[in-house]
Amino acid sequence: MHFEPSPGDVAFRADVREFIRQHLPPDMARRSYICSQPPDIGDFRRWQRILHDRGWGAPHWPVEYGGTGWTAMQRHIFMEEIFRADAIDYGWQGTHMIGPVLIAFGTEEQRRRFLPPMLRGEEIWCQGFSEPNAGSDLASLRTRAELAGDEWVIHGQKIWTSDAAEADWGFFLVRTDPHAKPQRGISMLLVPMNAPGVRVRPIEALNGGRDLNEVFLDGVRVPRGNLVGEAGQGWTCAKYLLEKERTASAYLYRNRRELEKAREIARAETVEGVRLIDTPEFARRIARVEADLLALEWSVLRILAGEKNLHDADAVVSALKIRGAEMQQRVAALQLDALGPRALRVFAQGDRSAEVIEGTSLWPAYVPGRLGQFLYARAATLYGGTREIQKNIIARRAFGLGSG
Amino acid sequence: MQLSHTPEEEQFREEVRAWLCANVPRGKRPRTGMALREYDLEWQRRQYDGGWAGISWPREYGGRGLSLAQQVIWYEECAVARAPVGGSTFVALSHAGPTLIVRGTEEQKRFHLPKILKGESVWCQGFSEPNAGSDLASVKTQARVEGDHLVVNGSKIWTSYAAMADWQELLVRTDPEAQRHKGLTWVICDMHARGITVRKIPTMSGTGNLCQVFYDDVRLPLANVVGEVNGGWDVSMTTLGFERGTAFIAHQIHLAAMLEGLYGLAHELKGPDGRRVAIEDDAIADQLLRLRADVAALRAMIYLSVSRGARQPVPGPEGNIVALCYGELSKRVYAFAVELLANEGLELHDENPDWLTDYLDAFKNTIAGGTSEIRRNVIGERLLGLPRGGR
Amino acid sequence: MDFDLTEEQQMLRDGARRFFREHYRFEDRRALLASEAGFSRDHWAKYAELGWLALGQPEETGGWPGSFVETAILMEEFGRALALEPYVSTVVLCAHVLGRCAAARAAREVLQALAAGDARLALAHHEPGGRYDAERLNVVATRRGDAFQLRGCKSCVPDAPAANRLIVSARLEGEEDIVLLLVDAGVPGLRMNAYSLVDGTRAADLVFDGVRVPASSVLARGAAAGDILQAALDRATLARVAMALGAMETVLQMTAEYAKTRVQFGQAIGRFQALQHRLAEMFVEVQETRSILCCGLAHVEAAGAERSAMISAAKVVAANAARIVGEQAVQLHGSIAMTTEYAAGHYYEHLLAFERIYGDVDWHLDRFARRAVT
Repeated sequence: MHFEPSPGDVAFRADVREFIRQHLPPDMARRSYICSQPPDIGDFRRWQRILHDRGWGAPHWPVEYGGTGWTAMQRHIFMEEIFRADAIDYGWQGTHMIGPVLIAFGTEEQRRRFLPPMLRGEEIWCQGFSEPNAGSDLASLRTRAELAGDEWVIHGQKIWTSDAAEADWGFFLVRTDPHAKPQRGISMLLVPMNAPGVRVRPIEALNGGRDLNEVFLDGVRVPRGNLVGEAGQGWTCAKYLLEKERTASAYLYRNRRELEKAREIARAETVEGVRLIDTPEFARRIARVEADLLALEWSVLRILAGEKNLHDADAVVSALKIRGAEMQQRVAALQLDALGPRALRVFAQGDRSAEVIEGTSLWPAYVPGRLGQFLYARAATLYGGTREIQKNIIARRAFGLGSG
Repeated sequence: MQLSHTPEEEQFREEVRAWLCANVPRGKRPRTGMALREYDLEWQRRQYDGGWAGISWPREYGGRGLSLAQQVIWYEECAVARAPVGGSTFVALSHAGPTLIVRGTEEQKRFHLPKILKGESVWCQGFSEPNAGSDLASVKTQARVEGDHLVVNGSKIWTSYAAMADWQELLVRTDPEAQRHKGLTWVICDMHARGITVRKIPTMSGTGNLCQVFYDDVRLPLANVVGEVNGGWDVSMTTLGFERGTAFIAHQIHLAAMLEGLYGLAHELKGPDGRRVAIEDDAIADQLLRLRADVAALRAMIYLSVSRGARQPVPGPEGNIVALCYGELSKRVYAFAVELLANEGLELHDENPDWLTDYLDAFKNTIAGGTSEIRRNVIGERLLGLPRGGR
Repeated sequence: MDFDLTEEQQMLRDGARRFFREHYRFEDRRALLASEAGFSRDHWAKYAELGWLALGQPEETGGWPGSFVETAILMEEFGRALALEPYVSTVVLCAHVLGRCAAARAAREVLQALAAGDARLALAHHEPGGRYDAERLNVVATRRGDAFQLRGCKSCVPDAPAANRLIVSARLEGEEDIVLLLVDAGVPGLRMNAYSLVDGTRAADLVFDGVRVPASSVLARGAAAGDILQAALDRATLARVAMALGAMETVLQMTAEYAKTRVQFGQAIGRFQALQHRLAEMFVEVQETRSILCCGLAHVEAAGAERSAMISAAKVVAANAARIVGEQAVQLHGSIAMTTEYAAGHYYEHLLAFERIYGDVDWHLDRFARRAVT
């Protein structure tokens, strides 16, 4: 057991930091500082292109498809530096989710068709899993697809689909065999979002954002070749996609950056002439969160370094998800509490005007975005498997306690 | 709605205060054993002689026949005067007595109620068993009818003060064929009867008041049955209803007094920085004030349930809210106390007040008489109308 | 970075686990708790034989040099067994002080005796009313020729009743300097009032009423003494984190087993989702404790302020976990855990003691805050 980073890792970090310093457009960084979640789609496209040109468009992919061949520790360092600089978190639905699935389960033709534009940030992807009556219980989904000649015909409805309005493509879970066991009858289909019969209705979220959508699929036809893997393999693909980046659910890098913002606010705000950060109570609150964040960080490191006697890896990953999500909420709450009553002002989502970005003496640049991010963070314990589902997983994997 | 006390009630308070001032025992209260029993009974006798026992109990059995509001005033003034509350007389005054008042026979009432008020008897509870804790309906201690007697065999556990008690509210299975909560009987058990063995259970807090009771062919007259034979479930729900309702008045007031004691301590002890007194530490002051607010909220909740209780003789499921809040809050108050005392808190003392022992003891508040989990189940199912869970 | 145990480390862990499994059964331990000493001298001799008492000490005094990782591995096993011997006081705290004062002849001699199992030590530092800080000590050492005279009172000194030697912190009369002195536990003028702590271990208040100690018993003084003391206390804090981790993991497993076998309402209570989620929360807490222990271990040799801050962070996270895991273990067991006849309550008491020994959450939070807010 030893805990020192290797000299190679230290040099690697310097490289990444320097590259970001040179290439991250300052206006993009400022926008991302205000509202990093979800990123502006235009900024995302630009930044993805910049990373791709450097060969870093999808660091975690195999080298033959455009990956970097980095170690887990290098990818960790890369993400730390991305967030440290307020750069853009790279494509979740695309390079993170469907990309690895296509690499593992797709045909060579699918890979050639979809991976390169994904890497260049030219095609945006969205994910169609949840349905109005299939949330935590995903296996009960009802959107169905039937084979008619050489085409799949899809009927149904999806909900909570991020970026559906901007997306070029979506990967959808559909029921292709109504007679099979719930999880076996599900397949994954690739759907062009401009296909006839696809209708997207934005849902206004509490934070004013409109990135969430309902997607209606009314007799949508896609070629037979848009099936990922085999029919009935959709559940396997979905599980693979959700488990691929086991440590991503800790949101470690985002949490660290947001805690830094909380400190920044507490240094600037005063209570009766005393900086908030100098009051023992607030200092303790920050310290408390920081200590827990350290624990989260070292949990991530344990997994990244491949600790062998990890109690039960699946349970530990669920533990990370629980704490990572709660940490987003705690840090956001800390920011809001530090802002006091000014935290309540609504700034239009996506308000990236000069006044907002530069800030004024009354409304410093650290105010806008905090309320929106706080509200957005409520979803952290919901998406990707609710906190309650994660606890079920822990009870099952760590203690062998089945469903009651 | 009447949110303040009437002039009569204020007058009553004055009388209570004056009497308590002159009569509250000053000596140190023993933590356990017959010394504790004698101390508690002596205090009860003095209350009776002064005309203050059983304030809300019917006059014909030695009570004062006054309102629940006046009972609350009594408890409040007891706390102010630092009078002893709870202890070995608790079950008699807060469970057995009230249960007998609504469910007992005339003979039972005439015999037991005056004895309780005069400080002549100590009661203990006999509900839980090694395999019937939260699931009370699975009680297995058996009683068969032989002539005009019940013959009891089995064992009860977690019985406080059993070693010093005269009587027990005992829940037994009289019909082994019947389903779960049918076939149970609530019977008054003479703790001096032949065939009873009491074993003390060593606990974390070390007071040694918790016991296990064994019954070996113990004969109890059928006349001791409260309610019907095989109708004991209903009676025990009444008993627990009292435990979760009015009995909490005294608990809550005691808790509030404890908290005020802590408030005083926080002005004397050093805080975490080792220099200033604890109360000057923002975080400690903050915690203390939050606890004060929560205790105030609990008090309001208890008033509300008392005023409801005045209109319904047998307590309902609402009592679970009070019990849940009290259980969790009391643990927080004592945990805070231990924290405030820092290193000193680790030492087990014989002296009063002893926060560490109280803290360890406070666990029973979320376990005994219905765990917090069971209380949440009842609140979910009976008050919120949620579907019954997998039980 | 590498989180896996080396072969030697695995052997240390397995050996310790085997020893405790054989010699620390529940009833054995209860008998020790009830005994006069509160621990086993035989076990202590065995620890010497196994080399545990020499762990982390310089080779020239018979030590077994190793990193603090080995100590943490051993401490985790101590925690699983709730071992009662005064290991942290003697080996982690005092031996570290002695090892850094090895220039003093007295220190070398005691270290050798310690490795051989002939010495048990306690650190007498905490004073009444001082909580965890002792910036201005009230125990005063006055020069008397070639000796010092000690006056004052130390309170709640862990393991003092078991010790035959004490390391005492004192203030030199007329100066602000502190001095660390090696004092024989049987020295005339020293009164010891012993008592039990909540976890069954023993502690004592010490009254120094004109105790005479030769000048040669000075181990360190001034800033150096402060640094050594701090480092030793930090290490003891982290050792207790490792111990608490072992205790938490064990009581969690015990609670899960209980939930699988305890039947109420016609089924194992572990089938109720409310209780499953409670166990899952406890699991998360335990995992966080293991992670933060690694973080602490990574900083145990760091420079003073950084080391102290990071070990404080470890204590904060672990103490919070200990509170939750301990309380929920009792709650999920029900009344059986309130008794001393069942192990869960003993684990809870150990965790309760852990929360406050060598600084409680608030104290450590303040120390960590100085780093966390900058």
